[in-house]
Parts: sequence; C-alpha cells; structure tokens
Amino acid sequence: MSKYDDLKFPFCEDESKFEKLAKIGQGTFGEVFKARDRKTKRLVAMKKVLMENEKEGFPITALREIKILQLLKNENVVNLLEICRTKVTPYNRFKSTFYLVFEFCEHDLAGLLSNVNVKFTLGEIKKVMQQLLNGLYFIHSNKILHRDMKAANILITKNGVLKLADFGLARAFSVSSKGLRYTNRVVTLWYRPPELLLGERNYGPAIDQWGAGCIMAEMWTRSPIMQGNTEQHQLQLISQLCGSITPEVWPGVEKLELYDKLELPKGQKRKVKERLKHYMKDQYALDLLDRLLCLDPVKRIDTDSALNHDFFWNDPMPCDLTPMLSRHGTSMFEYLAPPRRRVAAHPHQPPPKQQANPDQHFERIF
Amino acid sequence: MGDSEGRVHFRVVRFMHEAALRLHMKSVPLATACFIYHKFFREYAVKDFDPYLIGSTSIYLAGKVEEEHLKMRDVINVCYKTLHRRKAPLEIGDTYTALQESMASCELLILRCLKFQVVFVHPHKYLLHYLKSLQSWFHRREWEETPIASTAWALLRDSYHSSMCLHSNPEHVAVAVIYLALQCYGVEVPYSKYADTPWWKAFCEDVTLDAIKAIIKDILTTYDVEITFSTS
Repeated sequence: MSKYDDLKFPFCEDESKFEKLAKIGQGTFGEVFKARDRKTKRLVAMKKVLMENEKEGFPITALREIKILQLLKNENVVNLLEICRTKVTPYNRFKSTFYLVFEFCEHDLAGLLSNVNVKFTLGEIKKVMQQLLNGLYFIHSNKILHRDMKAANILITKNGVLKLADFGLARAFSVSSKGLRYTNRVVTLWYRPPELLLGERNYGPAIDQWGAGCIMAEMWTRSPIMQGNTEQHQLQLISQLCGSITPEVWPGVEKLELYDKLELPKGQKRKVKERLKHYMKDQYALDLLDRLLCLDPVKRIDTDSALNHDFFWNDPMPCDLTPMLSRHGTSMFEYLAPPRRRVAAHPHQPPPKQQANPDQHFERIF
Repeated sequence: MGDSEGRVHFRVVRFMHEAALRLHMKSVPLATACFIYHKFFREYAVKDFDPYLIGSTSIYLAGKVEEEHLKMRDVINVCYKTLHRRKAPLEIGDTYTALQESMASCELLILRCLKFQVVFVHPHKYLLHYLKSLQSWFHRREWEETPIASTAWALLRDSYHSSMCLHSNPEHVAVAVIYLALQCYGVEVPYSKYADTPWWKAFCEDVTLDAIKAIIKDILTTYDVEITFSTS
C-alpha cells in the first residue's frame, strides 16, 4: 500500500486538510461536522455523503444537491465550497467517503428558537423572514424547489445573514409541463403542505411557501405550530387551524388522489389569525401568515408578492441581527439543543418523540 | 493499431451515440455524456483507460446529471451488446458483476476528474430558439422545402465526435451550425442584403464571422476523420 500513500489526486482533495472539531448535525442525510481548514484556518461544515446504494453508484440525491448548489449562488443560499474525500484503506474496503464542504454558519433557526435567552424583536423577525423569502424567491426563479423547509434547515451566520441549507431533497421543476409526477414523500411532516398530504404529485413552489408560513409562525410561538404524528393527524391539525379542506375553499381538491381516502374534519372554521394573535400582535404579520398558510396552493402567496407585503414596509422596518446575535457567543444548533417544548396552543397532544417519530423522516426516492 | 487519439475518440463517441439511441436517450443527456467523455480524456491519456468503459460510464452519469435516469443494468447490457455485436447478450454472472463494479468506481473517478462540476451548458437550447426565430423570417414554403432545422440539429449532434464542445462558446456553436446548414442548401436568410445587422448578430451579439468559420472548420474536420474510416 505504501507506494500509493504518496499519490496526489489533483482534482479532489483529501479530507485530512480539514480538522474535524465537532459533530453538529445528524439526520436522515447523514452526519454533519464542524471543521477547520488546517492551512487557511477557515471554518467549514462537512456533510458526509451516504453511500447507501452502492450498486447504482454515486447517490443521485447527492449529485442533485451538488448540481443545484453549483447553479444557485446567492447571499441567502448556503455556499458549497468543494467536495473532498477520505483516503482509501483496507478498513474502508478501498472505498472513499465523500464530503460536501460548506461555508460555516454559526446557528440554525431551530437552535436559536429553542434557546429562551435568544429574543427576537419584531424588526429582527422581519429581517429573518425577508431573507428567507428572498432566498426562496431566488431558488424558485431558478426553477428549483427546496422540498424540505424547516427551521433546522435555515442557517444564520453570526453576521445575521440567513442561508437556506440542505438541498438534499431539492429538485428542478418545470412550469409548463402538465402531468409531471414528482414524489410526494417530501418535506418533514410538520411542515408538509396539505396538497402533498393529499397525494398531489404535480406540485410547485407553493409547497415551500407553506413551510415558510410554518416557520414564520414559529418565530413567535418558538416551536413548530403543527406537530402531527401521522399524515392523517397532520391534516387534522391543518384543518383545525386553517379551516376544513373543501372544494369551496380549494377548487379541484376533490380530484387529489387521497381526498376520499383520508378523513378530513368537516365544519372547521379558519382560525389562523384568531389562534396566533396572542403570539403575534402585529396585524401585518398576521395577514402575511394567513396568506402563506392558504390551503389552496394556487391562491397561496408567492415569494415576490410576499416580499412586497406591507409587513416588510411598515415600522419597525427589518433590522440587522448582528447586535442581538453577538450577545450569544456559542453556536446554536438544533442538534445540540435540548428538545423543544410544545406550545401551549396544543395542550391535548402527546409530547414529541425525539428522533423516534418515523413520520418525521422521509424517503429519498427520485 | 497506430490509431491517433482523435480516431479512437471518434470511434468511441460513435459507439456512445449508438448505445444512446438504443437507450432512448434524449439529445441533451447524450451531449452531456460526450462532454464528460472528452473532458476526461483531456486530463488522461487514452492508453491508461479503457475508452469504452469511460464512454459507457459517461452515459450512465449523464443520465443522473440531466435527470433522465437510466438503470445501470440497462446501460451495461446495451453497451455490451453494442460493443460485442456477435456475442450473446450478457447474462447475470461474474462478467456482469465485474462490469457493474468497474462502472461504479469509474463513475467516482470521472466525478473527481470533473471536480464535481456537473453543470453543463450546451448549444441545444440556443439552437432551438434561433431556429424558431429563423422559421418566422422565412417564407413558409421555403422553410418546409429545405431541411435546415434537421440539418443544423444533425451537425450539432455530430460535432460532439470531437472535443470541440470543451472549448467553444455554446451560443456561437448554435449560430455556426445554422450558418453551415444554410450553406449546405445554398439558402440565404431573407432580406439579408438589406439588413444593417447580419442575422447571426441578431441572435448573438458577440459572435464574429471569424468565430463562426473557425467552428465550421472544426466540425468539418470531424467529417474528414469519418472518411478515413470508410476508406481505410
């Protein structure tokens, strides 16, 4: 072996150029580490590529993520720096492990929200939402769907810049083609929009907008607003908040595959504003949220209109997050944070099972 | 024997086109496959790798990259049969497993050689738009009588036999294949004589006649290589 040890591979550097500092994430996608470039001292995040199905070669999901991130260079999208790999040894059966190397972001939104000491002012919340919608506007105008919006996938640097992350489920979409069928087994259950729960397979950017709405409410409630245990349960929670799902409020919903198969609560009134006004005092905020959590994906507000919403253009104006973040020296990641408590708005539900809930996970099929 | 590298690559790309046809691959994924193939051999010498394995793997990888998924099994079977016409189709067995393993590791090798740069821009989308505009400039009958569109498309497809795609501007290539197709049929773009801007400038501002001619020269060289196959 020694004769191969000195070989240089010019195209893809060895992971040993980074010094792993800590594990900062674990999910269906694999592990994420905080690391430092030994030479430049730059901090990075390394995401391991899971080689689960070796028979079909390099995983399509990882390749898709790489391709999408190469296309999407934007202030509010996480920046992919390079790909690196491990040396082969007899211990890994002469197979390299690959890592995606990202610029390092100090916090994720789920981590920040679970820390009671972190308090957001209305102006700061506006800044978070503005950047989030700006990132979504950029990816949607590049014909990419994120498909996994949730607070844990929203990163925030210590300079208060928000980055959309984890494009492991993202894919390109087409506006014109009718009858395209994408998998509907995407988006973490709590952030999954009603059309996906009802089996829609020709969906669009509106699915990410629903997630943006859930995250927006979470900025005030501090924990996910609809924590279903099953798809059926999730639809029930949605109906209780957004009103019954009927062809009157959502023309065409009756044609969706699972409309007749799942039980949809009848006679529920829409209570988005009513239920959340105790948390969110701002009328503009309530109005924007109401439009993001619109049942009918066709009528759900798009990123452009959302960015033009009065919420962002009335006092207090969106303001810099840096001063607030600088008061919190340590990194906050959901993975490292204690489990979040449920909101008082859902007292009748069982507590969440950390990591164990199979419905939180999604299959990675293409 | 004594084949120049160019001739080897020509033959492998022709094999890739044939296999792609059997796999019902669309133009863009095939173009990506050829691009990947040429890029690989810009870095490595052909004597160090089996070009057919690189070609077959490029097809498989291009399917992933362009979201036109191919099963590895189909790619292996089709490529095998395309390469060994007289042999019986491949059975599941040691050879198959060996090929599968080679393709999986070869894919990683190619990805690393590409530095994981998997975004490719081809002339196809430009060509489509230019042809669409051109069509409305022509009289309907003249457009229907001369197969300019299909010729331009065929010229573009053939251009991937050489490594031209690596160093030419995709918009320029799209203009050049139209230029060549028009020349082939001795057709002129209507009212060219009276126009202030030549038609190609209307499509692509920064293209020059010299650039167009250089690309055409490259394309024609490929056909010269083809002739050497039929005469030798």
